[in-house]
Formats: sequence, structure tokens, C-alpha cells
Amino acid sequence: MPGTVPNSGPVSGDEWASDAELLRRHVAGDSDAFGELFRRHRDRLWAVALRTVCDPEEAADALQDAMISAFRRAADFRGDSAVTTWLHRIVVNACLDRLRRRAVRPVTSAGDEQALEALLTHDPDPARAADTRLDVNAALRMLPPPQRAALVVVDMLGFSVDDAAAILNTSPGTIKSRCARARARLLPHVAHLRGNRSASQRVSPAQGGDT
Amino acid sequence: MTGHPESGVLAEYQAGLVTGRRRASIASHLATCDRCAGLSDQLGEISALLTAAPSPAMPDDVARRLDLVLAAEAAQRHSSERAVDDSPGHPASSPGPRRRWDFRLVTQRILLPVAAVIVLAAGGFGLSRVTGNSSSSSTTAGSEAAPAASAAASAAGSAQSAASVPSSSAAAAGRATHRSGVNPAFKAPLSFQVVNSGTNYLPATLRQQLASELHQHAQPVAGPQVLTSGSLKGCVLRVTEGTSQVTLALVERAHFQGQPAIVIVAVSGHDYKAWVAASGCSGSSDHVLATATLPGTSAP
Repeated sequence: MPGTVPNSGPVSGDEWASDAELLRRHVAGDSDAFGELFRRHRDRLWAVALRTVCDPEEAADALQDAMISAFRRAADFRGDSAVTTWLHRIVVNACLDRLRRRAVRPVTSAGDEQALEALLTHDPDPARAADTRLDVNAALRMLPPPQRAALVVVDMLGFSVDDAAAILNTSPGTIKSRCARARARLLPHVAHLRGNRSASQRVSPAQGGDT
Repeated sequence: MTGHPESGVLAEYQAGLVTGRRRASIASHLATCDRCAGLSDQLGEISALLTAAPSPAMPDDVARRLDLVLAAEAAQRHSSERAVDDSPGHPASSPGPRRRWDFRLVTQRILLPVAAVIVLAAGGFGLSRVTGNSSSSSTTAGSEAAPAASAAASAAGSAQSAASVPSSSAAAAGRATHRSGVNPAFKAPLSFQVVNSGTNYLPATLRQQLASELHQHAQPVAGPQVLTSGSLKGCVLRVTEGTSQVTLALVERAHFQGQPAIVIVAVSGHDYKAWVAASGCSGSSDHVLATATLPGTSAP
């Protein structure tokens, strides 16, 4: 590459930059900073998108929409929440937008199976995680998107109720209510989820299928 | 309470959404009803199961795709900034040999005791005077300048031969940056020329020194360094933050009042802007000692 230079490392070559610092550098014109911020959080952002839309392709599309939006709107970030909260908020909203648009065409069961297969192909440890994840996604799919998003953000990603409220642009009470209704809706399936989980706990990878 | 509460009510109870007598009623029911107590346990278990579910890593193809999308965004943003920078009136096209800079004190920001960075931005220089810390005897002053002036003169001479990036080469630097911004490789660095000079800027002779430096901009300089990362980059970004459409004309490691310093000159539209900051300047702290604005070529 012409103009290649020594010392062409990443932005944080000689010091660790906070998320807020990276975002500030991005706003200031640093062409590396946002990419670094994204790479830092992409697995969690992917998880929230995938769990919220329950479809890898939709998740990738939603995440793309969200990252472009975040890239362009970074100057709007006011620092009244953590950068991660802000990023998750943009991602979740992009996901819910997609789900709303998609609502007119119901998801077929064939599509579900394809989606789940696609999920499993990316499983780092399919032998152990497949059953649980399959059931988790199947279970999440039963929920209306607002409840699902609340449950994903709180129970799966571990955000506080207050942060979840900021992410989903609603009140903490609404978050609690949505999570409660979602858990109640999943209640009939808990035995199955638990069964898979305890099975996977009993069966260590080394032992194979000795149940 | 008569009868069993619905699972939805139990879930709301667990979430703390049920209060008062109703809460007490449910609590007493749970104490005596194994069935509802079991359901309540299962509700709690759902959260635990979800928390324990493995979190999927982003697939490589998705990661690559998003990297490319963001690289394209960065390139697009950069090229749009470039379009503004290349607008007519850019001083790089006509480096006047005898431009008269009207330096004047504009603002005085943080005063730093130690090293300073002088940042010149394109335009008409109102060169805000750079002052050191108040404890320094050589801060503002015209009076103490006399002995310093001769030293500065020689220093300026060495700087002229050694260093500065021509403002015409700022465009080249911009092009280089533009190229790297377009490069699909995601880690396209924002780069700028950095000059190491022996110039010792002094408050009393600052205007002459800066004028000399700017006159040197008409001459190409061999072997400038290019800075792509690190605290200096962060410094420049932070210092120039808020100045729209900046094209850097000069980033110079020099001295100010004998202390290591950095001089930065940038072109902004028809004007130059300049900042002076301490050498400790980084992305997280700027320590700008002074700023300056200088009319560009279109100014009288």
C-alpha cells in the first residue's frame, strides 16, 4: 500500500482506550475508532440481535442497520449512559423494527428449522450446547418481540432493569412486567429446558452419551 | 386468597410488581401450596436457564461483512470531508511567498507549565499567544524575548531546513489519507505528516517563527514521518475536534519555551487554524495553550 508507514498499528496501539474515548475519537474523525469499538463488543451485539430476531440472516441485517446508524449518529451520544448501553439500544431497536416489518409475513416452520440449523453450524461446542440452545431459541421464538427483547436483555445479557429500560426506551416497570409475562409464558416449557440442561450436565463431553 | 394465582401473577409477584395486601396474600398462599411454590421456583429457574445458555459468537462471515460495511462508511465519510477541503481557495494551490500573517492573541486556554504543542490551523492567524504556566518567568511577555529572539532565529533557521511540511503537501497527505480510507482493509489509518524540528518557539517571537514555518510550506520536505496511531494522533484529533473539515497542514514536534512541544497547522476552508498544546497532549487530554486563526489566501 502506498504510504505504508511504520507504527501503523490499531488505534489503541500504545494505550487502552475506553469505549467513550473510542467514540469520541470516531466523532473527531478517527477512521479506526468505531471499528475498534464494534470489534470490542461484536459478540454481545450479535447475541442480542440473534436472540431478539431469532434468525441469523435477519440478525446480520439488523446489526448492519444498527452499526451504520450508530456510526452516523455517534455525535448524538451524550454520555448519560454507558456506550455499551447505547449500542445495545440501537441494535435492539433495529431488530424490533425488522420484526415489525416482518410481522406481515409469518415465519414458516421450515424457515425456523433453517434458522436453527444455521445457528447450530456456528456453535463452538455443538455437542454440549446444541440442545440447550435449540430449546432456548425455540422458546424465545414463542414470545412476542417486546417481551422477548426484554427477557434477552435482562436474563440473557444480564443488564439491570434500569439499563434494560434505557435500551428498550421504556420504563423499568414495563421491563419488569414484560419479563414477568415472558417467564410466565415460558413456564410450560421449563421442564423441557431443564431436562436438556441437566442432561448436558450429566453427560460430560468426555463420557459421550452415557445417560 | 382463594384458589391458585395464575402463573402470570406469580411472575409479576417475583418481579416485585405486586404490592400491598395482594402481595401478602400471595406470600401466604405460596407458604402453604406446594403446587404454586413449585411453579414459583420454576419461574426463577427460567431466568437461570436463560442466563446459562451459551452465548453465540459472531460468525466469521458476518464479522467480515460488518467490517467491510463500516470501512465503507469510514471511507465515505472521509471522502466527503475531502471534497470540502479541496474547495477553491485552498491555500495549497497558491503558497504566497510573502503572505503577511496577522498574528494576534485570540484565546488563551489551559496554561501548562511544561512542554507545549503549537498547533497552527489554516486561515488567518489570530495567534493566540501561548503562555506557559503562571509560575514560569518567561510566559507571555515581550520583555524577556530579547535574549530568546536570537536563539529563536537560529532555531527557526534550522527548522526551515529541517522540517515543515509544505501546505501544498497537506493535500498530498490528505490524498494519502484518502487512499487509505478507501482501502477495504478495515484498519485504514487516519494518517498525517509529522515533522521533527529543532525549532524552539518563544512567546515573543512566535509570529515570526510561525511565519517562517509557513513560508517553508512552499518547499517540499524529504522524508517526513507519517503518524498513524498513538497519543499524538489522539492529541491532534482532540485538539481539532469541533473544527469542521480540517485538513492537517503541519504537525511538528518542536519546542516551546525550551520544552518539548508539538505544533499543528490545519487548513479549514479558506482559513488556517492553529493550536498550541503541551507535549503531553493525547487523545484524553489536550492541554491546548493557545489557538490561532489566520486568513487564507483569499484574505487581504
